[in-house]
Amino acid sequence: MNASNTDSNRNSPAPRYTLLWISLVVLSGSLLVLRAAMAAQGDGGAAAADPAAQSLWTTVGIWTAAILTIGVFSFLYRDNPLYKVCESVLIGVSAAYWMVNGFWTSLVPQLFGKLMPGLVREYALPSMPVSTTPGLDFALACVPLILGIMLVWRLAPKGGWISVWPIAMIIGVTAGLKLVSSIESDFMAQLGATMRPLVVMNGGFDFWGTMAALVGVVGVLTVLTYFFFSVEHKGAVGKTARVGVWFLMITFGSAFGLTVMGRITLLAQRFEFLFKDWLHIS
Amino acid sequence: MTTHMTTQRDNAGGSSFLARLGNLDRRWIFLAMGLSIAVPILLKLRFPEYPSPMSRATFDAVESIPEGAPVLLSFDYDPASAAELQPMASALVHHCASRHQKIVFMALWPLGKQQADKTIETVLKPFHPEYKEGVDYVQLGYQSGNEGVIKLMATNIPAQYPTDASGAALKDLPLVAGMRDLSSFKLIASISAGYPGAKEWVQYANGPMPDAFKVVGGSTGVQVSQLLPYYPHQMEGMLVAVKGAAEYEMLVEGKYPIAQPEVIGQGRVRMGPQLVAHLLMIGLIVLGNIAMVAGRSRGGAR
Amino acid sequence: MLQRTIPIAILCLSGVIMIVAYFVSFAVSWSETVNVWFNILSAVAFVLGAGNLLAVNLEKISSRRPGWAYAAITLVSFFFMLVVGLLKLGAVPDPKNPLVHFAGDYETSASPYGWMYEYVFSPLTSTMFGLLAFYVASAAFRAFRAKNVESILLLGTAFIILIAQTAAGIFLTGWIPQDSVFAVLRFDSLKVGITEHIQTAGMRAITIGIALGVAATSLRLILGIDKSYLSKN
Repeated sequence: MNASNTDSNRNSPAPRYTLLWISLVVLSGSLLVLRAAMAAQGDGGAAAADPAAQSLWTTVGIWTAAILTIGVFSFLYRDNPLYKVCESVLIGVSAAYWMVNGFWTSLVPQLFGKLMPGLVREYALPSMPVSTTPGLDFALACVPLILGIMLVWRLAPKGGWISVWPIAMIIGVTAGLKLVSSIESDFMAQLGATMRPLVVMNGGFDFWGTMAALVGVVGVLTVLTYFFFSVEHKGAVGKTARVGVWFLMITFGSAFGLTVMGRITLLAQRFEFLFKDWLHIS
Repeated sequence: MTTHMTTQRDNAGGSSFLARLGNLDRRWIFLAMGLSIAVPILLKLRFPEYPSPMSRATFDAVESIPEGAPVLLSFDYDPASAAELQPMASALVHHCASRHQKIVFMALWPLGKQQADKTIETVLKPFHPEYKEGVDYVQLGYQSGNEGVIKLMATNIPAQYPTDASGAALKDLPLVAGMRDLSSFKLIASISAGYPGAKEWVQYANGPMPDAFKVVGGSTGVQVSQLLPYYPHQMEGMLVAVKGAAEYEMLVEGKYPIAQPEVIGQGRVRMGPQLVAHLLMIGLIVLGNIAMVAGRSRGGAR
Repeated sequence: MLQRTIPIAILCLSGVIMIVAYFVSFAVSWSETVNVWFNILSAVAFVLGAGNLLAVNLEKISSRRPGWAYAAITLVSFFFMLVVGLLKLGAVPDPKNPLVHFAGDYETSASPYGWMYEYVFSPLTSTMFGLLAFYVASAAFRAFRAKNVESILLLGTAFIILIAQTAAGIFLTGWIPQDSVFAVLRFDSLKVGITEHIQTAGMRAITIGIALGVAATSLRLILGIDKSYLSKN
């Protein structure tokens, strides 16, 4: 394979390669159609008993998913229109999905359900509980309604600055939540987990337990020393920071190994779909 | 001219295989990676699993809570991570249902609700038909707000979820009618792919109420580094990537067999391609370094 | 005042309420109310994102910039999904309230919205992430060089974890008895030692550092020292 496909490539051996690719695509497509037809007939008895297996929309869906999957994989060879179409569809569908989800799961029950409970109960959520303080609920719901309108005003050509008010509220709530939780769970609790007995006794002196405790304390202290940039890393501080770097390298090497496993699993699942659900060859 | 021709001949001969290797078109690497995963899948390679301490700790955490106690399962992932996390979720639901735990499903990711629905349809309903919605399990669904959802649930569940995912009022569902806050649960499990997820459950649920319930998590390989500091003091157990899923499946199926093992066997299936692909990764790194050394020594010799 | 003082006051007030609620019981109900508002605004932010998508793609189509056809595809798929989802077209009726159209389940794969999720959205997102496996392999070949002690440590650890995660680890060192002195050399023991002790120590230190950074940044925002979120106007 050559990395570049220039015009010169297209002219000389290109017609041969084009014919080869067309033949491969036609042959593969024919095999797939034949396979699909044989699968429908071959296990007709079992398939007929299971309506889902014979559902036209399920079949169309599986083929759609397979074509989209192959379209995305085609990017590995080179950028092409099929991949760009898949990408465009994904962007559009995901934006709409998030919006619809947010509307029906949050806005309808928590905002509109408080502003116009009768209407929401009649047309959308018949089982929505009846509030004992509808007036207070309405008044309180006006605040996120107004802030929400201000937020969406960001898109308007004029007056978009007003969106800073709801953004300030979002940032304030997040800051307030994170301030306490980070100190409680990520600072105090981690310090507590580090400050464990260095000499571990487990019915007698536990050598490996003691080593583990030592590694834990030394690791935390040396890595923290490395991140202390306001002191120059020279002499004893420098040597300590270097040990911290070694701990970090082992940490990142392990993280890489775990990441590889995750990525391979994602790919394996797509191949399973193509082989099992689409081609029925596994 | 002779010198020039000699130099050219040396370079042509010395343009060794290793030097060409350093400039290898990456599409050959893509092909090798694709084959290293496709072939084991087609050949159905399977290997035995031996539970790690973390997976066993997760199993023991679920075993330690009283049978019939309510548990909260948070599906904090989307289809992009389902390959790693769905096997964990399926095994966890089967484990809890086999112990007759009351299960409350929820999601912090919009697409997590669909993953929870899928798990209910493929594991809970077929293999635990005695489970009744509203009495033995409830699907609360997704709510926007990320960690704000956890924070509000920590003090007031009905304020965050006035209804369940189907629109039924919480007060009409016997399982959750009397639940005020998260301390009603004995175990909270988060199957998470990132933010928000298990980390936020530790920070906003376990932090304020460290003794009220146990927290266990399942995470992707990418996220597990962030969660390691919480184990074992803030999180009793953790399932690490698809390997953790495979080990946990083995433990669950060993004690609670299921009529169709493939339903909670996807983790072990997906471990098959891992061996070949991992060996390929090691081989690629070694080859890359050999190419680097060869390139350096050619440069030094010149 | 409208563009600076009031937003700073809103930020300060909402932040202080969330902090005080941790320590003072009567403030818990205030923080719950603010939390509900926060969750609603998070949902409204999706509308903002969609609006931005519309603006960018419509501009691309109207000015006929290269690739405008793909922008049109984006908008067509966006509007189709939006209309089908917001109007719950084809939704399966709720058995308890069959006459209430908007009470129906629109997410089941029997409905168009659910079909799009199952056979378009889900495969596309999964496959996009599946591509990463190929790029990890390519990056490992090109970039992972053992040039010094630190990189050798990183690569050596990566090799141990990669082998220990698979059956190769059991095959290579599974014969070493668990209770022997050399059990620590088994790949599974090495993996446990690396992940539960060394990696945990490293990540714990990073977590502590991040926590201090988050606390400092949150305080700066709440006290009004950091005003970077304010509009330049």
